[in-house]
Amino acid sequence: MDAGGDFSEKFGLKHYQSILDNLPVAVFAKDATDEFRFLLWNKKQETISTIPRQRALGRTDYDLFSQESAQYFREMDEKIVRSGKPLEIPEEILETGDRDEVYLHTYKIPIFDHDRTILVGISEDVTETVTNRKALQKASRTIQAKEQEIEKTQLQLIQIAKLESIGQLAAGVAHEVKNPLNLILQGVEYLDRTITEKDENTAFVIEEMNHAITRATKIINELVDFSTSSRFDKRECDLAGLLDGVLLMLRHDCSRLDVQIDRDFAEGLTVHVDQAKFEQVILNVVINAIHALRDVAQPRVAITTRKSTYSDERSEGVRTGKQIRIGDPIVEIEIGDNGAGISPEHLDKVFDPFFTTKPTGVGTGLGLSVVRKIVELHDGFITITNHPTLAGAMVKIVLPE
Amino acid sequence: MSKIKVLAIDDEPGATRMMKINLESLGQYQVEMVNDSTQSIATALRFRPDIILLDMVMPNLDGGDVKRLLQENEELKDIPVLFLTALVSDSDTSSDVSLVESGDGIMIPKPVKTEVLRSCIEQTLSGVL
Ligand SMILES: Nc1ncnc2c1ncn2[C@@H]1O[C@H](COP(=O)(O)OP(=O)(O)OP(=O)(O)O)[C@@H](O)[C@H]1O
Ligand SMILES: [Mg+2]
Repeated sequence: MDAGGDFSEKFGLKHYQSILDNLPVAVFAKDATDEFRFLLWNKKQETISTIPRQRALGRTDYDLFSQESAQYFREMDEKIVRSGKPLEIPEEILETGDRDEVYLHTYKIPIFDHDRTILVGISEDVTETVTNRKALQKASRTIQAKEQEIEKTQLQLIQIAKLESIGQLAAGVAHEVKNPLNLILQGVEYLDRTITEKDENTAFVIEEMNHAITRATKIINELVDFSTSSRFDKRECDLAGLLDGVLLMLRHDCSRLDVQIDRDFAEGLTVHVDQAKFEQVILNVVINAIHALRDVAQPRVAITTRKSTYSDERSEGVRTGKQIRIGDPIVEIEIGDNGAGISPEHLDKVFDPFFTTKPTGVGTGLGLSVVRKIVELHDGFITITNHPTLAGAMVKIVLPE
Repeated sequence: MSKIKVLAIDDEPGATRMMKINLESLGQYQVEMVNDSTQSIATALRFRPDIILLDMVMPNLDGGDVKRLLQENEELKDIPVLFLTALVSDSDTSSDVSLVESGDGIMIPKPVKTEVLRSCIEQTLSGVL
């Protein structure tokens, strides 16, 4: 065997082409001294670019690719030729006619031969790797977002757990406090009944004591409502009937303040609720509205019920239990008033236990906390915003249908 | 007209005494008090009440235990019992009467006004409740 002779001597140049065409990478060459016209274009380069060799040879990047891409390639090529050094481009995009974006890992090597300069390029199709990496990045961003969400939920759970322990503590304390309250109540009653000749001061003292007992009982009971929630007796209730029942309880307050009630109830709506607890919900909300209407010229409360499909992704509020999802059938109850509304800095505080803007003795700030808890235990949620048209506040209660 | 005999059972002497004072001041009631719940049956057999007011939470025998003992006694089992308890809250009660029906019977939440107590007793005795 002739060890000295090289490949080209033995087989002739045409076999180089067949070697090039069988490489798993794309190989091309441009004549840097003749407008970077293509001199070489192997099979793999045909597949990747979807441009056949006959069309490519003798042409420039400007003939084959978009103006933008061609310019990018040309600037790069000129830089390499000027520097005289090979360049590795770990990732570049090649636009192709019919395929999606193709990512290439390319080496470009300048070859100087007398008065000619050839630029050789070798590219590997790394589209799959890049796409996988991008998918991974996207997945990890999603995971991060989920983690943040979980963290937020945990915080909310801690908050709920705190409320829960307030409730349990309250249930224990309530028992110890209600017994003495019972004695005071009956004691005051006895004095009221037996002191027949009351002067102004005695009458005042007795009345104030009675008020104080009622207040203390109300606070204790509301606190206990946090912990006794498991004893729910849910039934199918006629919503309009339930609302009218509550309005009937409030008819004296409404007529005293001349509050106009606008009812707009969808016909035949039923809800699956613990009636007594849900009456409490509506009562607390409507009483809040009535409180807000004290100094309003033409006080109005508007109550609307409707059947709907849940679509509002923006609604805030902790949702526990079965979450209501977009597309679920729901029942909406809106209670709006034309009072002063809620100042923006208070909007996210009104559901906090003991948050109140009312004077001591008037509000304990438990009304809406109890409301929210009860609504959530019915798998619903509640939002409070300022009413778009009435100027006052609007409470929206959403229950699964 | 003979008086309505009420047996008030509560571990707190102040509570039974207060009920006695208030109910008796209404005129038509005679109230006997028990503060040691283990004495409930003996007192009931002697006093023969028309109705029993029974506190729920008590040391030794609680309201539920006393109710069971009453039920097991042939001579006492038909006497109506109203439970008084500080354990339930007002919002558990149905709106018109301040009562809760639990497995054990009718509960009256504390604090309770004598008026409410009187009306519960009357309604129970007339068979409404
Ligand atoms: N319809 C409303 N219009 C304006 N402000 C409101 C309305 N409803 C609630 N708020 C505000 O939210 C606060 C908290 O309400 P929440 O019902 O929890 O407690 P409260 O009414 O102050 O006391 P209570 O325990 O007696 O209900 C109120 O003090 C008030 O500032
Ligand atoms: Mg309120």
